[in-house]
Amino acid sequence: MNRRDILKSAALSAIAASVPLAVPRWSIALAQEGSPIFTLAHPAGFPDLDPATSFSNDGAVLANVYEGLTRYIPGKDDQPATLAPVLATGWETSVDGLTWTFKLREGVKFHDGTDLTAEAVKGSIERTIKIAGGAAFIWSPVTAITAPDPTTVVFTLSSPQPLDVIAASGFAAWIISPAAMDKDNAWFNAGNDAGSGPFKIDRYEPGQRAILTRVADYWGGALEGAFDTVVFEIVEDAVLDQNMIEGGQADWTYGLPYENLDALKANPDLSVVVNPSFETLFGMYNTKKAPLDRPKVRQALSLAFPYDDVISAGTSGLGSRAKGVIPSGIWGHDTDAPVPNTDLEAAKALLAEEGLTDGNLELVMTYATSDTLEATAGELWKANLAQLGINLILQPMAWEAQWELAKSDPAATQDIFVMYWWPTYVTPYDYLFNLFHSEEAPAYNLGYYSNPDYDKLIDDAAALSGTDRTKAEAMFKEAQRMVIADNAAVFILDKPNIHIMRADVKGYQDNPAYGHVVFVNELSR
Amino acid sequence: MDLVRYTLRRVFLSAFVVVGVTFLVFVVAQVVPSDPAALYAGPRPTAEQIAKARVTLDLDAPLPQRFVSFATAMGTGDFGVSYKSRRLISQDLRVYLPATLELAIFSTFLALLLGIPAGVIAAARRGSWLDRIGSLGSILSVAMPTFFFAMLLQLVFSQWLGILPLAGRLSQQISISDPLPFLTGFNLIDAVTAARPAVFLDALAHLILPALTLAAYPAGIAMRLTRAAMIEILARRHIVAARALGLSAPRILFGHALPNAVGPALTVIGLSFAYALTGAVLVEIIFAWPGLGRYVSEAILSKDFPVIAAATLVVTLCYVMMNLVIDLTQTLVDPRVALT
Repeated sequence: MNRRDILKSAALSAIAASVPLAVPRWSIALAQEGSPIFTLAHPAGFPDLDPATSFSNDGAVLANVYEGLTRYIPGKDDQPATLAPVLATGWETSVDGLTWTFKLREGVKFHDGTDLTAEAVKGSIERTIKIAGGAAFIWSPVTAITAPDPTTVVFTLSSPQPLDVIAASGFAAWIISPAAMDKDNAWFNAGNDAGSGPFKIDRYEPGQRAILTRVADYWGGALEGAFDTVVFEIVEDAVLDQNMIEGGQADWTYGLPYENLDALKANPDLSVVVNPSFETLFGMYNTKKAPLDRPKVRQALSLAFPYDDVISAGTSGLGSRAKGVIPSGIWGHDTDAPVPNTDLEAAKALLAEEGLTDGNLELVMTYATSDTLEATAGELWKANLAQLGINLILQPMAWEAQWELAKSDPAATQDIFVMYWWPTYVTPYDYLFNLFHSEEAPAYNLGYYSNPDYDKLIDDAAALSGTDRTKAEAMFKEAQRMVIADNAAVFILDKPNIHIMRADVKGYQDNPAYGHVVFVNELSR
Repeated sequence: MDLVRYTLRRVFLSAFVVVGVTFLVFVVAQVVPSDPAALYAGPRPTAEQIAKARVTLDLDAPLPQRFVSFATAMGTGDFGVSYKSRRLISQDLRVYLPATLELAIFSTFLALLLGIPAGVIAAARRGSWLDRIGSLGSILSVAMPTFFFAMLLQLVFSQWLGILPLAGRLSQQISISDPLPFLTGFNLIDAVTAARPAVFLDALAHLILPALTLAAYPAGIAMRLTRAAMIEILARRHIVAARALGLSAPRILFGHALPNAVGPALTVIGLSFAYALTGAVLVEIIFAWPGLGRYVSEAILSKDFPVIAAATLVVTLCYVMMNLVIDLTQTLVDPRVALT
């Protein structure tokens, strides 16, 4: 053995020796047993961390850092939905529903040490209204906010609205510290926060991760085994998300392909939580353009829709049949709504009645480019319609372009507009008003449905929903049945919420009112 | 002197390319159907919010005036605000560009270090098992789809062997316990300036798999090109003369033959560097790398034109500069390449 060989073998054995040493370093499961870190493999980034204008996935971060006055707790089985007190401990409305008085929780401190006061609540909501971005429109009925004493806030409204529900919104309803009132969007997006929630933003690396740490003296306290750090890892690749949750580098994720769920369910380290969401998929018929301006043609199309096939092929059977536009878990959901079932014979008969049997009818359906569920629904429907001599042209478009087209002259736009809807704040009015109330210039009523009786009914119901919710609910149901009877839309399915977690995490409950939000303070390991 | 004149001329010509690209992006932004105001106003805007956004973005101004303000924003490196996120683009680029450059530069070095010596050795041992393995490797590395190679590397090195991290730029623990201060955005450089050797190693470990994935294609091509060129050069008389003079084999191969053979390989590697700046979307997504490719592909999907324009400009600049560097390197390595 000469000198060179000795050097060579020394180098090789050094490399060989360093390998096993390095092993534990990367195979350490970050979400290992007992770790006080809760890691979310989050498939989407956080475009806007300003609590006044955030209107997207950023709610996942903000809901752990900021608090609103109330929180929406969805109904389950026969339990009606309720509102839980958060920063407000109690609230009442005047008989006419125009004045709302909220009593604030005492002893709440913002992360900067200042106390929660009525002025802070007033200032936060006024800031949101003034900036007028994101979901600020939820406050449009508010004409004045006053703070008669440090723990009382009084809202005056122009029309009766359920302000307790509006205040529970996951967007534009966060209360911030008085010290941050004059801060701009850039300040918040640099990773600063001004909340009162159980966690504060410690570090924000755009496109990569956000790290929250527990606030020492949070008013709500901490559970035994609670997490003291929350890490959002922004991981857009579903394969990587799945690797991370399976390998224990993440505690929670969503957005994995439906077909992988069986394998995930079989994994004893994981739990798969399936829950109905408030997101509903539907297609609005263009009621202002032939031939869909005729209700019976629309009815025929709805009868030709393969509801069950779309649920099984598009969501692995986890979605549920939509009963109108108001999903279950929201008051106003109508379990017995008379929605049509797939019946090609009946559809054929209706088309014959309308004289549409020559087989050269073409209809254009627009939907969002990247959405595979919408594409699946379109393909299956197309196959059924082909049997009736209708050619359904599927036109995927970027959402902005799809919407832009739909807002132009109804006589020249799409025949069917497919989209999802979820409520900004949880009321049936949010769905029924935005999607079917008459509009002079189309915004979201993209089937251009117009029915004065319907408009009046939901407006009256909305006015009652702050004071007499039972009556309002009955009226909303009646209105939704009008839309169903008129076949204004095809109600496809209510999307399931599917979240995958490590099995050792306790206390998780999905709240569909806050899409893909985890309230980490309620969890423990 | 020639060198200075040549460089100046190239820079001058490059300026035209950059201006032309800026103009093209602006024209495309006008032609493609989209509503910037609706994008700017957020996910579910009201008519008033859209109207307000039109005013904020000055969308109703005459076209020439808008081009001037657009060109000014691009020219000063201000780039304006993203329609979609409403964030300052220059601020975003400060994060995403260094991440991409770090990856692209590292992978380019890997491609050079793997591809060219492999080509030289294959040519020197032509027909041997080394040559065959090298050829097979180069064909595999060129033919294998990026996403598959990336996942294969992840599977082997991080899930089976556990010796390299799965994804990301730095370990979570570092961000949580003792984050690296942001200086240049190049983690390797920032770790050195902060005198944190552990962080440097961590950043390096995170770089290896994505860089290897990106390097595979150019390294494979460079290997083939170098091998072919070397075989031709090794048959020349000056090599025979060098052999006759008794020069050592490495000296002949790397000192006398390689400079004559390396030109095409350098060009390919240079071009692939420029490609990696925005073309590495897949690699960036699979390795959760917060890079320019991901940033731009998101912008393209939502037709966020200021971001597309800014990224186009930055990439054009990098591309033009890289081309210049390659051409200059060629003249240094091989004096026969004339500066014309």
